[in-house]
Amino acid sequence: MSIEVLKEPSVIEGKPTFVEIDEQISAPIDKLPNIKYLIALGITSTMLLIGIICIGATFFYGIGLWGNNNPVGWAFDIINFVFWVGIGHAGTLISAILFLFRQKWRTGIARFAEGMTIFAVMTAALFPLIHVGRPWLAGYLFPYPNQHHLWVNFTSPLLWDVFAVSTYFTVSFVFWYIGLIPDFATLRDRTKSTIKKIIYSILSLGWRFSNRHWHNYEMIYLILAGFATPLVLSVHTIVSFDFAVSIMPGWHTTIFPPYFVAGAVFSGFAMVQNVLIIIRKIFNFEHIITLDTLEKMNKIMLATGTMVGYAYGMEFFIAWYSGSQFESFVFINRAFGPYAWAYWIMVSCNVVFPQLFWFRKIRRNIPIMFVIAVLVNVGMWFERFVIIVTSLAHDFMPSSWAYYKPTLVDFGILVGSFGLFFTLLLLFIKAMPVISIAEVKAVLDGAQPHHTHNGGHNGK
Amino acid sequence: MIAINYQRKELSSKLLKIGVLLLALGFIIALLGYVIDHERAAFNGIILLMFVMSVGLGSLFLIGLEYLVGADWSVPFRRIMEILAIVVFAIPVFSLPLFANLHTLFHWTHIEDVMKDPILRNKMPYLNEMFFSIRSTAAFVLMFIFWWLLAGRSFGQDSTPTKNFRKITVRISALFMPIFAIVLTFMAVDWLMSLEPHWFSTIFGVYYFAGTFSVALAVVTLFAIYLNENGYLGEGIEGDHYYNFGALLFAFTNFWAYIAFSQFLLIWYANLPEETFWYLHRWEGSWAVISVGIIIIHFIVPYAVLLPQPAKSDPKRLKFIAWWLVFAHFYDLYWLVIPTYSHSGAVFGWMELYPVLIALGTILILFYFFAKNKNLLPIGDPKLPKGINFHL
Repeated sequence: MSIEVLKEPSVIEGKPTFVEIDEQISAPIDKLPNIKYLIALGITSTMLLIGIICIGATFFYGIGLWGNNNPVGWAFDIINFVFWVGIGHAGTLISAILFLFRQKWRTGIARFAEGMTIFAVMTAALFPLIHVGRPWLAGYLFPYPNQHHLWVNFTSPLLWDVFAVSTYFTVSFVFWYIGLIPDFATLRDRTKSTIKKIIYSILSLGWRFSNRHWHNYEMIYLILAGFATPLVLSVHTIVSFDFAVSIMPGWHTTIFPPYFVAGAVFSGFAMVQNVLIIIRKIFNFEHIITLDTLEKMNKIMLATGTMVGYAYGMEFFIAWYSGSQFESFVFINRAFGPYAWAYWIMVSCNVVFPQLFWFRKIRRNIPIMFVIAVLVNVGMWFERFVIIVTSLAHDFMPSSWAYYKPTLVDFGILVGSFGLFFTLLLLFIKAMPVISIAEVKAVLDGAQPHHTHNGGHNGK
Repeated sequence: MIAINYQRKELSSKLLKIGVLLLALGFIIALLGYVIDHERAAFNGIILLMFVMSVGLGSLFLIGLEYLVGADWSVPFRRIMEILAIVVFAIPVFSLPLFANLHTLFHWTHIEDVMKDPILRNKMPYLNEMFFSIRSTAAFVLMFIFWWLLAGRSFGQDSTPTKNFRKITVRISALFMPIFAIVLTFMAVDWLMSLEPHWFSTIFGVYYFAGTFSVALAVVTLFAIYLNENGYLGEGIEGDHYYNFGALLFAFTNFWAYIAFSQFLLIWYANLPEETFWYLHRWEGSWAVISVGIIIIHFIVPYAVLLPQPAKSDPKRLKFIAWWLVFAHFYDLYWLVIPTYSHSGAVFGWMELYPVLIALGTILILFYFFAKNKNLLPIGDPKLPKGINFHL
């Protein structure tokens, strides 16, 4: 049996040369924005503006503008926070965990997903700041000796969130930047504009593509991947602790940490897949972000979606098995109570529709996978809604039960968060290479000849 | 062209001798145990059952995982997993003495007590002997079916490879995964969690899975290294293959710690009496020492040993840590099961040796007899050359 038969197809299609790779990937940066781009930017920045107005109104008039009521003290702000932090998870999973697993197909999408991580975490970080009501005092969230002798509550998972999210942001940012250095150098060498040259020269930190540079680069990349891997798990674990350490029925359940992590990766992949489908079409990256890559992403969505389904099932089973009437009530109330509509949106979008990915034809059908991924994100948003709102709305004191209704301001801030995220993404697309030039070159056919025992090599 | 340098070599009968010795010794101890103190012997029987299940079902999971993710490096070791998975057939045998002692083991089988206890009464539709037996039997049958589908079908491929074999097996593997998750969860809930029928934890199935994965992988690692060192696996398997074992063992050491910590922290923090008592039982008297020990044995030691990069491909250190993880899984099961038997403090005597002796003896004997006339590499698999030729 010849080994050539079993050679995996290259993750990059069409055998482009190194120069072609340079040109194709830096094309969006070289050209001035066209009208389509400006329209897209107009839409997203309008959304952002709506959000800013709603946040401004909230600061001016107070949180009374929101739909939060007495039992439901946590609603859209925390839902959006958890949702956006979750979106961020795909980036680090792709760049760190898949790197450790030596998955070559990650190279086409890693940079973009890392960028999304950073923007998603920035968007997420906005919500606790708004939620505290006095965002100008948020500095006290960091423990430092001060004249007021004000100290944080170290036993609160909300504080652990501050540490977890800021560490995550820092490491993701450094990881992203380290990966960008060789690409900045490529851009520096290509550009003819003096201003760009100065900017890229500073950003590329004197990178000269020397052997020693690469050696250090690969070492630091591996170390950062090692650091980022536990961070991916820790961030959403700690977000889940926000709920799970309490004694609120429906929140306090031990499966929350891995269940939240699986859900975060699930929604993050859905978002990355959605945006990449558009990007690869607009910028003609179809041979770099291939259909095979998208199919693999769909497989990961199927796996994580099914894990989330396992957690739903386990929660239901144990709610009954525990014999705790509060737990049983909360779960029956979720499925058949006043919020049943939200619950069934969540179950159908997160567990039922992704099952279509069992079929190869659907995994490789771009319009269908796009719709499924949109539904996944709808479902994952509703998951947080279901967890947060249904548990709070019917808590231990039936006399204070109340139905939560979001206001227009709530929706405005949600729209604004999407506006912020997509505005940042659009700016990123035009300012930096959205695909790692150096890494894509490294996975081209023949870039890494492996010598075999009988003297031949299976490279090109 | 890559030629596979593989000549089938007769397995050394030393394997059988050691296995028979272990099994005979374990059998005598078990027999004496059931005569002298059947309660203690039965509780140890759960450790034996769950350990063998971890290895058997875990091996099936590893096979399914390899097909599903399309891994290359593990193809040369798949035959070892396929042979190891045969131990699933020993599971029902080990469950027989337990079924005979259900009243001794499980508080929920005492109907008169259950009737007095509203919580247990509530659980009767699930926790009753009839349904319990049906669940276990169904689980065993499913394991047999999937043993055939995932492992059994593969042996014939050595002489007569069939078309589409891989394609079909990949589909079977996909079907297997959800079934595996359900079977494993309910076996963990039934045989381990329901020992203290008031206690509940949604993560418990995942906790048992974390242990299952690392012990099954550790056993495969041990067989792979010993067989390879003695020339049973042909040529070409070296450090890069070992590295994957090391890396995965390291990853699942962390995964286990993550799951165990999550369960503990959430229960400790919320401090609800209906959950905390389970940990408090494991904090009575000398149990506290065992409970602290599990952190060191199941996490800190393997973490520290496997952390350096060279350790992951060094067969010496890998053998040590794989043995260590086998021990750690026994320790974990001991910590899960025995506090229900002995509330006031940890007990350890000659009787606790029998699960270890019988489990290891059974694995060795079954492996020997089943591997006897078989190739230890899946030589009919077209992916094998690529698997042998694997480099990082």
